Amino acid sequence: MTLLETLDRDLIKVPLSSADGSSVIDELVGLYAAKQGLPQAEASSIAAAVKAREALGSTAMENGIAIPHAKLHGLARNAVVIGISRIPVPFGGKEGTRVFFLVLARDDSPAEHIQLLSSIAKVASSQLFVRMLLSSKTPQDVYQLFFE
Amino acid sequence: MKVPFRKILAYLDGSEESISALMYSILLAKSTGAELHAVYVVNTKALSELVRAHIFIDQEKREYLEDLKKDSARHLRHAERLASSKDQDIIVKAIEGSPHIVIQDYVKANGIDLLAIGPVNAIRSRRDELTSENDRMLRTVPCQVLVVRDDSGIWEQFEG
Repeated sequence: MTLLETLDRDLIKVPLSSADGSSVIDELVGLYAAKQGLPQAEASSIAAAVKAREALGSTAMENGIAIPHAKLHGLARNAVVIGISRIPVPFGGKEGTRVFFLVLARDDSPAEHIQLLSSIAKVASSQLFVRMLLSSKTPQDVYQLFFE
Repeated sequence: MKVPFRKILAYLDGSEESISALMYSILLAKSTGAELHAVYVVNTKALSELVRAHIFIDQEKREYLEDLKKDSARHLRHAERLASSKDQDIIVKAIEGSPHIVIQDYVKANGIDLLAIGPVNAIRSRRDELTSENDRMLRTVPCQVLVVRDDSGIWEQFEG
């Protein structure tokens, strides 16, 4: 599945309410868990996997974007959860991060996971696109940007 | 009438859609007598780019490279089994690199005259950043290209 096929407007949050990296991950995973109807224990386990990966090295890029991710056993399909913060959040980069793409991937489809991350990295490298993302006011605005 | 191709290459990328393209290629090769190749490209270019962008750490790159190699071996074994089930010879290979460049080179080096790929992206976005490897191949490969839609009809034809 491509990035466009994976995007879900219910998995976009603008603005995020968290002020630190760990809470942002919890908030994004919480959005995913609510949509999927997952129990709290499973949500906590997913958040822990994402945080464990971040602990090895921050996924914050230089342009205020971070792409935290984890591969998970038993996931029905890959998911991308997008969050945009009004204020820069410390996430391990030189500057604060405002745009988060949380990628949750099945552990049995490495090629698809890599394609998904590559597509996000490519859109994130467009300064114009990032500016438009940052000026988005609603999840619908963000969703629509990808389809223009 | 003479068949206008002699060598078919099916591109495998680990997706179900590319398996459909392979199945169609097997049927096509069987009915025309064409030589059949299947190549799985381990996308090391994407892995390196993810490290450069700080999305992957080196350890992750190594893990994913191993995962992709296992995935390629699994898919190529499956390709051999599918071809064998139709009594069709197949040449399979896993190659590392940038998919559309690897396929271009393979086509030139092996005299491939028909490339079969899975579906290209629906035009849902004008963003170049979202162009897929299948799109790039379609635009750059120096031979005819067959775009195979992934639908149940192919599976039924294959199993029929």
